[in-house]
Amino acid sequence: MKARKPDSAGTPSVQRRMLQKDLTPYLVFAIPMAFLCLFLFWPLATTFLRAFMRSGNKFNLGKLGFTGFEKFISSSLYRRSLLNSFIVGISVTGFSLIIGVPMGYFVARVKIPGKSLMLSLGILPVIMPSFIGAFSWIILLGRQGVVRHFLNAALAPLGLELPTIYGMFGMIFVMTLTYYPFVFLLSHGAFSSANALLEDAGTLMGADRWRVLRTITFPLVIPSIGAAALLVFIRAIGNFGIPAIIGGDQYVLPTLIYFRVNGFWDLNGASSIAVVNVVITGAVLWYQKYIVSRREYETISASHVEIRQHEHPAMRIIAALYCFIVLLVSLAPQIVIVVMAFFEKWQGLFPEGFTLANFSRIPKNSSSEFLNSLLLSTLATLLTAILGSIVAYITERRRPKGAALLDMAVMAPFILPGTVVSVALLSAFSGKSIIPLGGTYTIIIIAYMVRRTPYVYRSVAASLTQLNPSLEEASTIAGAHWIYTFRRVSVPLILPGIISGSILTFSTLLQELSTTILLYGAKTRTVPIQIYGAVADGKLGEASALSVILLVVVFAVVYATNRLQGRDLSSGFKM
Amino acid sequence: MSLDLNYCNVSKVFGAGGKNAVQALNDVSFTIKPGELFCLLGPSGCGKTTLLRSTAGLETITTGKILYGSKDMTAIPPFRRNIGMVFQSFALYPHMSIFENVAYGLRVRKRPESEVKEKVAKVMELVGMTDELRRNPSPSGLSGGQQQRVAIARALVYDPDILLLDEPLANLDAKLRRRMRAEIRRIQKATNITTIFVTHDQEEAMAIGDRLAVMRKGVVEQIGTSDELYNAPNSAFVANFIGKMNFMRAALLTRGECCARARIPALGIEIDVPETSVHVPESVREGAAVLVGARPEQLAISISRTAGSIRGRVNIIQHLGQFVRYEVGVDPALSRQTFEIDMPGVVPGVAEGMEVAVALKEGMGALYEAAEGLNE
Repeated sequence: MKARKPDSAGTPSVQRRMLQKDLTPYLVFAIPMAFLCLFLFWPLATTFLRAFMRSGNKFNLGKLGFTGFEKFISSSLYRRSLLNSFIVGISVTGFSLIIGVPMGYFVARVKIPGKSLMLSLGILPVIMPSFIGAFSWIILLGRQGVVRHFLNAALAPLGLELPTIYGMFGMIFVMTLTYYPFVFLLSHGAFSSANALLEDAGTLMGADRWRVLRTITFPLVIPSIGAAALLVFIRAIGNFGIPAIIGGDQYVLPTLIYFRVNGFWDLNGASSIAVVNVVITGAVLWYQKYIVSRREYETISASHVEIRQHEHPAMRIIAALYCFIVLLVSLAPQIVIVVMAFFEKWQGLFPEGFTLANFSRIPKNSSSEFLNSLLLSTLATLLTAILGSIVAYITERRRPKGAALLDMAVMAPFILPGTVVSVALLSAFSGKSIIPLGGTYTIIIIAYMVRRTPYVYRSVAASLTQLNPSLEEASTIAGAHWIYTFRRVSVPLILPGIISGSILTFSTLLQELSTTILLYGAKTRTVPIQIYGAVADGKLGEASALSVILLVVVFAVVYATNRLQGRDLSSGFKM
Repeated sequence: MSLDLNYCNVSKVFGAGGKNAVQALNDVSFTIKPGELFCLLGPSGCGKTTLLRSTAGLETITTGKILYGSKDMTAIPPFRRNIGMVFQSFALYPHMSIFENVAYGLRVRKRPESEVKEKVAKVMELVGMTDELRRNPSPSGLSGGQQQRVAIARALVYDPDILLLDEPLANLDAKLRRRMRAEIRRIQKATNITTIFVTHDQEEAMAIGDRLAVMRKGVVEQIGTSDELYNAPNSAFVANFIGKMNFMRAALLTRGECCARARIPALGIEIDVPETSVHVPESVREGAAVLVGARPEQLAISISRTAGSIRGRVNIIQHLGQFVRYEVGVDPALSRQTFEIDMPGVVPGVAEGMEVAVALKEGMGALYEAAEGLNE
């Protein structure tokens, strides 16, 4: 065979091509870096500075001080909010563990019917917007709530009365029901994939079931449960929708931030609160890392040995009943919303006044909100998918110096509460900023991108680690430039990762409230904002109808992609 | 026309400057002849894969030069080197048909459709996959051997200057491995492309390679044909890596022009070793400890003790067809190794657990520098 001579180097065309080749990687790397610097680092730095400024927008050494933080000592509202955030974060995490771990164990290890249905239904509270859950609990447990009404009648002879949903009880209750699925799904994963041989070995050495559970199984699943607990804590402490709707006169840090910005346009004060909020989250994250690093765990690996299941009838009945009740209670809001959407009011035992008006009013009242939601979510998702994929590809494959830093920078917004991101962007881009973006579509899209890039990034990075690098090397060897390789080999093979990350992004952006609430203007209202407004005005019927449409769209998107990819509903949300 | 391949003082340090810097290649220089099928052989971590990947440009070498023919490729990125490579995992694209997999390199080169079809058909015929090409299934539906053939076809279709094979047989079962190595040699000889074949299996390397390089700790220990490496290994390491070598403690007595004289105290004999079999550096003084190496067929066992023999205990007897292998534990004064001794047939009256006499056959044995890990 004749060897094909490669083009001799030195001709002008080759030189130009080499020049191009040398620049493209840097150009492509520069885009995500520039985006992160401009829209994450700078805003965060501005926020940090503002947190120490007494007043004004212009930076001035003389204005530096701790006024913003002193309020946490001097103001009882601030003290109370900080305390509330701690109480909410810790109790929600605790209750989620108490509810979620047994459920995970039951579904993984006890022979009960309808397991895959339970796993699918279990994810719903996480997929669905949490503030919708909150206002539907008003219908059930509010001042005139149907369940409260009923239960109080039953409890009256005992001299007991159910606390009202407004306040600390309600926040903790609703958040627990919203976030326990993280614990349920992650512990289920750990319980069902723990190496069965390790447990069999324990049994053969004479340990009884309880001892095996205590000394072998539990230590093996601890890392997963710890990760779930951390996830719940971060979400709970950053949640805005639930305390905003049912917090009543009890503030937590995210609602306090909203209060400072919306009520007083006090960005400096809000920045101080945001810094405190981030410090708490960071401290918890650091503590978790510290604990994990102190102990060595065997990696939980899927083994081919089937895990034996409990078959004792009593155990099966208890497990099935437990799961059924938890699911029923946690899904009650969704059911209530669907019913409520078709009625005028629901103040006694039954809803009253069947009507379709809640829906028929939507085209007139909320069509621009729907358009905005679709437009903002779609655009932000597309841009996030591109940004997240490129960053993942860079950190996983090209491994430049500082890849770890890039990784940390991209993942940082994952632990930042939505209100904090908003305050940061407002600090940098509102008013007389160099780049004024206040009230525009752009600032919302940027906020969405900053908050959701971790989703795509994680998902794509996971696909890339599973992709044998020699597939890409084979393409390089065959003569392909890395951009050609990326397009023809890498992207098609990591497409499932890109899609699932994007779907997660899109479906969570449609219901995004905590970021939007501080950034929207008259022209950029979204559906969640509209729902929030309707709830605040007491128009529960209209809010329900809007929510139903939102739920249906979100569910349809998630369900359709999972069907296309042949996976179960929960897989994408375990992050 | 095939190209030769030249390595000039090639070194590679991973994590240079850092605390965990690893010298993967240390001043490697040699030449591969045009059209040669050249094997890189060595234990894992010896640098053979790093050298292959550096040849491809997938690793950047720290110092030195790699030349294809007279052309310096050191700074040329891999996608402009016009090379073919077959990976251990085959690296076939699951999202493409067999045809598209093989055609990939031609598509990259933007060849016209007619040429693509013609070349793919031709190369698939060469690797014996004409039927599969007609059905054109996805590569995941193929057997290991077929995937291997497709991977080779994909690497050959654009007439590369150099073909690189990275442990291409490691993922196949033993029987298929033997058949495929004959196939690879046939295909390589048919195309006459200069080829490097990396493996850790010495039997495979000896069977397939025109020449072999034995590597160890980033250094090429010896280059030669299978015959040269087996019969004239120039170090204890190569001797023990290419086939089995039994080492005996000895002392260097004299070193002359034509031969060296050594004494093996445990056997109570003195032997003369011709200079071609003396692999001891000049710096080793007379009287110093050395090793006498003997291949399994250069030793003999017998029931009755004779002069110049030592007692040993037979641990295991293996019948291996043409010969019988006796594993014999010998007096530690002679060696701490368990000896492998091949006899042309069963020695009557010898059973496992019995004591026998071990002797070095007349005129056999080579001298090696005492080396760590072999015999202290």
